[in-house]
Amino acid sequence: MERDAVRTENLNVWIHGKHVLKNINFRAAVSAITVIMGPSGSGKSTLLRSINRLIEIVPGTKVEGKVYIFGRDIYSDDPYRVRRYVTMVSQTPNPFPHMSIYENVAIGPKLHRLVRSKEELDKIVRWALEKAMLWDEVKDRLNDPPTRLSGGQQQRLCLARALALKPRILLLDEPTANIDPVNARKIEEAIKMLVKEEGITVIFVTHTPAQAVRVADFIAFIYNGELVEYGPAREIALNPRHRLTEMYLRGEIG
Amino acid sequence: MADPRIIKEKIFLVTIFALTILGILPVFHVLAEVIIKGSEAIAKHGLGILTSTSNGILASLVGSAILSILASLLGIPLAIAAGLFVAEFSDTKLAKITRVVSRSLLEVPTVLLGMLVYIIMVVPMGSFSLLAGAIALALVMLPYVMVHVEQAIESVPPIYREAGYSIGMTRAEVLLGVVAGIARRGIATGVLMGFAKAMGETAPLLFTIGAARTTLPCSHSIPLANVLDPGDAVPLMIFQYAQMPQKMYHDMAWAGSLILVAAFLAVFIAVRLLVKEVKT
Ligand SMILES: Nc1ncnc2c1ncn2[C@@H]1O[C@H](COP(=O)(O)OP(=O)(O)OP(=O)(O)O)[C@@H](O)[C@H]1O
Ligand SMILES: [Mg+2]
Repeated sequence: MERDAVRTENLNVWIHGKHVLKNINFRAAVSAITVIMGPSGSGKSTLLRSINRLIEIVPGTKVEGKVYIFGRDIYSDDPYRVRRYVTMVSQTPNPFPHMSIYENVAIGPKLHRLVRSKEELDKIVRWALEKAMLWDEVKDRLNDPPTRLSGGQQQRLCLARALALKPRILLLDEPTANIDPVNARKIEEAIKMLVKEEGITVIFVTHTPAQAVRVADFIAFIYNGELVEYGPAREIALNPRHRLTEMYLRGEIG
Repeated sequence: MADPRIIKEKIFLVTIFALTILGILPVFHVLAEVIIKGSEAIAKHGLGILTSTSNGILASLVGSAILSILASLLGIPLAIAAGLFVAEFSDTKLAKITRVVSRSLLEVPTVLLGMLVYIIMVVPMGSFSLLAGAIALALVMLPYVMVHVEQAIESVPPIYREAGYSIGMTRAEVLLGVVAGIARRGIATGVLMGFAKAMGETAPLLFTIGAARTTLPCSHSIPLANVLDPGDAVPLMIFQYAQMPQKMYHDMAWAGSLILVAAFLAVFIAVRLLVKEVKT
């Protein structure tokens, strides 16, 4: 049995000829929160998007090396299947504006035929919205368009949409970057609960050291396309081995 | 002393306002003229001016109705499909060629499209037909609708594609279920523009439908086959009757104009109401 939910082996990515990720050997432990931390442009999003192969939708990208998810090499699998159990929440809230709040959450289970009846679908939608800590705020307006929600609520809706597929791995790309601190804390709480109660594996990208320390079980520090340091959160936060990590945590770079 | 920036602002607003009025006045003038002259003609000659084939424009109305349905059936699905394809697969060779061809088609004088259909269809079949006219109109519609669909699709922010893919949607599901869904208003508007453009055209019909103004297209026993009969269309009738010396012909042209405008407005309003705007 693999201990790591995700493991990359000499992962290299080029975007339009630019070497964006260099020989990355990254790991994410099962049922834990692994934070990818690093300054802007260091390659955090690129690493995250290599894990669900979303990187491939941008033309001009080249990927070399391996990405294993629960021991399986995903680059020899069907990308749509991978994204069915490795779902993602993006940096900018992007609920589908032409669907209702309900439909936004229901669309995934419907497309992947995870449910057999309307009741089952209702149940899964409610479950996902509760886990995203949004249910109480939207239960009376499920048919409204998501554009009537605040940015923070929209982002939690995106979290619910990603959860409705009952993924084993959840990828979060700075999910709180564009929203207020209260909503940001709600999302952090929701994610910690998910790991504890559902055993989901979370990979969380952030560029704020304080947030990394708040949520992480493990921290990976990326700088300029290279994985500089990786380890349990406490170790990295208290005595980083690498000078760059130390400077970053002190806010001197980034 | 007033702030010169505020004075400039006032001048700016007044100018914009005046120019806007100047721009829309002719539109209202034309509309008013059509409504007044058209209703006068109907009031003077009675409804017979619309419902008779000998002293009225029934054949033109029927022809236009058939042409609009047929041309839409032929042109719109193809245009939407091509627009989606070109927007989604924009770096493929086929998409690039399709784009150039459609842009060129946009510039071709529509009378040439009528000629083309005349050569490849009317001559070999030995007869003018509504179908030939509908094909010519579909060719007019095609590039317009296509370009609008393309632009509507391209204007959807990439974050929504990303959202679709990140919950395991396939490319087709993202394109049809997400991107086209968000762009639905733009697509509908494009379809309307193409439709209106084609339906107001006279030139593509000159060599194709045969201007059969006193008979209805009903020589065949199978209803659908009647599209192979010659027929007429309101714009063609207006174009030709307006040049006649007798007042009666002018009245029929005005009545036809009124019906045309009313039909356009009805279609526009219906589509705008049915297809809701998606706010992003
Ligand atoms: N579509 C693209 N075209 C060209 N270069 C790109 C593209 N996407 C990313 N890059 C480059 O790849 C590098 C890493 O980008 P990435 O988005 O992974 O950084 P990041 O760490 O997520 O930054 P941020 O914190 O600002 O989100 C950057 O130098 C960027 O310029
Ligand atoms: Mg990023």
